Amino acid sequence: MEQKKHWQSFGELNQSEAYNKDVKDEFREELPFVADESKSFLEAKAPRRDFLKYLGFSTAAAAVAASCEMPVKKAIPFANKPEDIVPGVSNYYATTFVQDGDVVSVLAKVRDGRPIKIEGNELSPITQGGTSARVQASVLDLYDTARLRFPTIDGKEVTFEAIDKAVAGAISGPVVLLTSTVTSPSTREVITQFLAKYPGSRHVTYDAVSYSGILLANEATYGKKAIPSYHFENAKAIVSIGADFLGTWISPVEFAKQYAAGKKLNEKKPEMSKHIHFEAVATLTGSNADEKYLHRPSETGAVVAALLSAVNGQSVSIADAKLKAGIEKAAKLLNANKGAALVVSGSNDVNVQILVNAINEAVGAGGKTIDWSTPVNVRQGIDADFAKLVDDMNAGTVGTLLVYGANPVYSWYDSEKVKAGLKKVKTTVSFNPKADETTELCKYVVPDHHYLESWGDAEPKAGHYSFIQPTIYPLFKTRQWQDSLLKWSGSSVDYLAFLKNYWAAKIGGEAGWNKALQDGVVNPAAATMSGASFNSAAVAAAATAATSGKKGGAIELVLYEKIAIGAGQGASNPWLQELPDPVTRATWDNYVIVSPALAKTLLNIDLADGGQADAYEVNPPKKVVKVTVGKNTVELPALIIPGTQPNTIAIAVGYGRSEKLGKSVVGTGKNAYPFASMNGNTVSFTVADAKVELTGDTYKVALTQTHSRYDTTQGNRTEVMKELTLAQFIKEPTEIRDEREEELKPWGGLEKFESQGTIYPVYDRPGIKWGMSVDLNTCTGCAACVVACTAENNVPIVGKPEVLRGHEMQWLRIDRYYSGDMENPNVVFQPLMCQHCDNAPCENVCPVAATNHSSEGLNQMTYNRCIGTRYCANNCPYKVRRFNWADYTGADSFPDNQRETANDVVMDMNDDLTRMVLNPDVTVRSRGVIEKCSFCVQRLQESKLKAKKESRPMVDSDIKVACQQACPTNAITFGNANDANSNITKNRKENPNRQFYVLEQLHVLPNVTYLAKVRNLEEEHAGKEEHKAEGAEKKEAAHS
Amino acid sequence: MHLKYESQLREPLVYGEKNYHQVTEDIVRPIEAKPSKLWYIGFYISVALLLFGVYSIYRDVTYGIGQWNLNKTVGWGWDITNFVWWVGIGHAGTLISAILLLFRQGWRTGVNRAAEAMTIFAVMCAGQFPIWHMGRVWMAFFVLPYPNTRGPLWVNFNSPLLWDVFAISTYFTVSLLFWYSGLLPDLATVRDRAFTKLRKRLYGVASFGWNGSTKHWQRHESLSLVLAGLSTPLVLSVHTIVSFDFATSVIPGWHTTIFPPYFVAGAIFSGFAMVQTLMVIIRKVFGMEDYITLGHIEAMNKVIVLTGSIVGIAYLTELFMGWYSQNKYEGYTFWYSRAYLFSPYGWSYWGMMACNVLSPQIFWFRKMRRNLFVTFFMSVIVNIGMWFERFVIIVTSLYRDYLPSSWSVYYSPTIWEIGFYAGTFGLFFTCFFLFAKYFPVIAIAEIKYVLKTSGESFKDNMGKIEEQTMEEFVHDHAHH
Repeated sequence: MEQKKHWQSFGELNQSEAYNKDVKDEFREELPFVADESKSFLEAKAPRRDFLKYLGFSTAAAAVAASCEMPVKKAIPFANKPEDIVPGVSNYYATTFVQDGDVVSVLAKVRDGRPIKIEGNELSPITQGGTSARVQASVLDLYDTARLRFPTIDGKEVTFEAIDKAVAGAISGPVVLLTSTVTSPSTREVITQFLAKYPGSRHVTYDAVSYSGILLANEATYGKKAIPSYHFENAKAIVSIGADFLGTWISPVEFAKQYAAGKKLNEKKPEMSKHIHFEAVATLTGSNADEKYLHRPSETGAVVAALLSAVNGQSVSIADAKLKAGIEKAAKLLNANKGAALVVSGSNDVNVQILVNAINEAVGAGGKTIDWSTPVNVRQGIDADFAKLVDDMNAGTVGTLLVYGANPVYSWYDSEKVKAGLKKVKTTVSFNPKADETTELCKYVVPDHHYLESWGDAEPKAGHYSFIQPTIYPLFKTRQWQDSLLKWSGSSVDYLAFLKNYWAAKIGGEAGWNKALQDGVVNPAAATMSGASFNSAAVAAAATAATSGKKGGAIELVLYEKIAIGAGQGASNPWLQELPDPVTRATWDNYVIVSPALAKTLLNIDLADGGQADAYEVNPPKKVVKVTVGKNTVELPALIIPGTQPNTIAIAVGYGRSEKLGKSVVGTGKNAYPFASMNGNTVSFTVADAKVELTGDTYKVALTQTHSRYDTTQGNRTEVMKELTLAQFIKEPTEIRDEREEELKPWGGLEKFESQGTIYPVYDRPGIKWGMSVDLNTCTGCAACVVACTAENNVPIVGKPEVLRGHEMQWLRIDRYYSGDMENPNVVFQPLMCQHCDNAPCENVCPVAATNHSSEGLNQMTYNRCIGTRYCANNCPYKVRRFNWADYTGADSFPDNQRETANDVVMDMNDDLTRMVLNPDVTVRSRGVIEKCSFCVQRLQESKLKAKKESRPMVDSDIKVACQQACPTNAITFGNANDANSNITKNRKENPNRQFYVLEQLHVLPNVTYLAKVRNLEEEHAGKEEHKAEGAEKKEAAHS
Repeated sequence: MHLKYESQLREPLVYGEKNYHQVTEDIVRPIEAKPSKLWYIGFYISVALLLFGVYSIYRDVTYGIGQWNLNKTVGWGWDITNFVWWVGIGHAGTLISAILLLFRQGWRTGVNRAAEAMTIFAVMCAGQFPIWHMGRVWMAFFVLPYPNTRGPLWVNFNSPLLWDVFAISTYFTVSLLFWYSGLLPDLATVRDRAFTKLRKRLYGVASFGWNGSTKHWQRHESLSLVLAGLSTPLVLSVHTIVSFDFATSVIPGWHTTIFPPYFVAGAIFSGFAMVQTLMVIIRKVFGMEDYITLGHIEAMNKVIVLTGSIVGIAYLTELFMGWYSQNKYEGYTFWYSRAYLFSPYGWSYWGMMACNVLSPQIFWFRKMRRNLFVTFFMSVIVNIGMWFERFVIIVTSLYRDYLPSSWSVYYSPTIWEIGFYAGTFGLFFTCFFLFAKYFPVIAIAEIKYVLKTSGESFKDNMGKIEEQTMEEFVHDHAHH
């Protein structure tokens, strides 16, 4: 067939001569030499300049043409554009983060059809816009390459029809549905329907880290197998016995918000709640406490019993004098604040929790700080129920087991028994989205959607509803597990229809449903709080039981949850694995936590000895110890964490996962669950007698902070961190201000420091001037901001080998400092990001001006100008600049250079699927350039544009930077410091006395202010006085 | 030169019964003879090292600076340490040729050619580090202020790194010119003696048509003086500017006003040590004992003990200021991170002290100054010490600066960091071996210039002068 010929002009059609010439010389023009044919080229009457100009132009043009690669554009425009999708503009959909009972109402930011960021939903009265690290990281799970992509039977891919048919035929015998806590009311309905179809079937709830102790204790004392709502914001006195309520306990986001309310300090009327903490192993909550006392894990019962006695005015019999004093103090505090006091305990021992209930009754917590009118649903598992299920499975009395959310093969202490039981169950079905340890052993696998692909609802607290709507079409051949249940129970409706049906009647039809979806939450009318009638019958027996438990041996072991990894849910998420644990500052591993005192005898490391401390700090290889309990042993590196009881060691659960969960679990840590045991009706996560010995091996632990004291031998670095006690603050409110004034006196004091601290002229800064303030009093160090920053700004994951070498890339870090007694120090967390100095030392050292100052006070990085000399990073006193040491992102133009430097995790983060999480508003940095916090400049631009479009001045509510948005305690304030009405201005005006700049005396003029940490203590800081005295002595010595 | 002959009290600069022809013969011999086995072995080792360096840089460029063990806190380590070290070594050549020329120190003639060559090669080596330590070296041209199409984008003239670019390129250019212009008469000598056509042609081109006319000599001498005048301030400015990389920063241990003189003294110190290392070898291998005399060696050892002591005083001053300022950050850096032997890098500080301050004191003794073995050993020790000095300044200041939270893990180099350094040794010695083979290692013309006044055999004539009366002397020497 002859090729059809298209032509553009008649010239082309006719192939005219003029046309051919034009085509040939398309881009050529005659050089403008004055034509004088008789003379030679060089003698031409020459516009020499023209010649040079053209020579220059053509050389440059050739160079440009030869070197510029044309970008490959893959964007395809919509044929019919959906109304609400504008390319480049984000949509926010209200949905709900749901994971094993944890419920947080969130907004999913969807850009061009892809959810890329999770933000808190401010309409939820429970979390009020707060999030946690795990919530922030959950968007990455959506794009996890290790997700199951289709239903399988015996590991072979099948269609939904096939598996429906197969399962329908296979379901037999007593059917058991095993799930983690289900908070969804509609799902409970679905379950009821399903169970009704199969007589003799039952639903067992299993929580890996269970709260059976509280549930059973409440049943015994209040007649309700439930957990009440706690109200830390109403408590002036908070006593926690090992409950990590700011980190992992029940509903940390909610509690952090409440706790911060009590810790927020009004400088004019300085008062705040007081928190006394008793614990065995340093936790985030213990680190935030005003006072902390250490006790052995086996003494928990005794401590709670003693506290109850003390609250009741009886004598306390505790051998340890410090601990005894602490208990008496706590009792005094509770009694002094009756009706505004709250006691919580993290123990899973029923007896301990009964005693805690008794104390709460005694101090009048019911209806004030504990609300029984809205019990929480987020943990419902009863250990004994599951233990019975395992027995039944082994006895062969379970015909069909359907598993959703639960993963007992990994997290049950007697994993072998669960495995053996599973083998005896004829039909096993798993709905889990990943090939976790339990799913691997199930015959039928129908993977569930990620929550961002799902429909659903949740009821974290009675009457509080939170809705889930899909934000993206399911990426894989997955199906909501409710759909499977409906199908298998013979229902003809799908889950969406079921859900709509379920709600339509309750919330006012279609309109109500739409509004509920739009808001994401339906909240109950404000109800009065109420207590519950307390039945004290069980208390006496509980007191006896709690105090007569097994006496602790030389070393006791505690299993705990890490903030990022939780019970194991975070293990396959690289953002969470690389998130430095706020307490230990370690990434990518679990380890044995030992106290400095134990380190001395066990590891032969004396942290009081400068040289030994140095050697421990600067060398990543840590000594490996072998922990033995009964027949279980595990070998892990030991980290020395001050604030840990000397006879106690601790190991985090959630590690040592199946390699099928993803690249990030490979080689990270070991499973500690086998050390748990059944103690009566509940699982105990402590071991009273463990054996620990040095193996002689070392193992490298990727720590992101090696040194933790700011009061070094060379003096107290108070320009870095300022903290004081409430008593001190009341007595001398201007102390910090006076200190600053004194420091800056030679340069004009606080007022004139900016102009007199330099020999250079000072410029006006009109217009916008961005500023941030971080309240160290309300910051709990939970690290939600760190993950939010990672997600917002496409911060690369570098993998453990790189973190080991100090190559981690996080723009925002939470520095942790200790002060005072090394065994039980004061801990303070300091979020540190680029300080956006107005007189930035990084800016003037860059040879190519790749980092410079914006007219709005931002210290900007121009990535494509950066040549990577790292001089700016060296000259940054805050060390917040991060260098792309290798091609972490695949953005580099060198082909095939990642294999050498990137481990599997990093390669996985560069997978096309995973890269869908990237924020298109933020450049993905290539190898060899410096990057750092930009104050989320993309958000600032967006907010300015928004205000401009609406022809109005920009206001605070237009902007929330990522870290500020994520913060559950509102510790971060951000805005235009030149605007008299902005929050940042108010914040600075209202807190003149606590405000400080880190390293102010350097005259780098940071734009981030910190509000000093105030600890609610009666005594003035003893350590400080000593320092003053020492200084005086030194001076004297110098004079003599 | 005012006198025809020099006092016999002064040591001769050239030993033996020499005449002009003999001088030429002696110095050109290595160029015209086949290289020895030793030369080949040395050359091949150097080339091997160079290739290893090239591979190390290949890795660095392809896979990123992460091939080195630098981290978020220690942004510079071996790279900039080696840079400053090589630049320091590159100081002696110009100092010898320029400043000593201006001060009319006749003894410079024996060593200036090789010292200048060493300078050029050392600066070439030094230049590698700031270039290849860049994260995106393919964008290195951004540091050049040239008219560009990026709008008003210009380099940052505030940055000491940019000053480095200018300082080092200027220094390199002037040193190269100085060295090469000094070579012209000697290359012409080699050309004139050439025994093959190719040789004649190559040396002919290289000598720029030098024909030894008076006019040539006059211009040559003027040019030498001008270049000497130009490069004298450069000797001081280059290392001053290199020290600004640190002195203008805010990092405790870097932010120090003493750095410029201290760096310059240190540079001369290490430069002379490197000259000693090379001279002791050259005079032995090429049999140049008559031209590079013990007197030369001794003179340079004197410079070493002087500059070593200046550096020592600088160290003590820093320590004093670390205490006297009562600045806790400085105090920590100087007294803990450095001077405390049992701190993680304490060993490097005391290594530096031992090598740079204590050991050169041995040169207060004349016997030691004239002992070749001691000289050679000490020259190596001094350069080890000076390497430690730069390492101490860079790494111990960075790894524990203001915020204790950012204190770094122990920094030690990877094989590729070491490879890069080894590669610059390869580059240096490859160049030096080629230089020694194809160029006169001693300035023939300049030796001839001092031969008749300071040569041993000619000095004997001084005896006659010393016996003369004033009138006879005036009669003999006055211009008629």
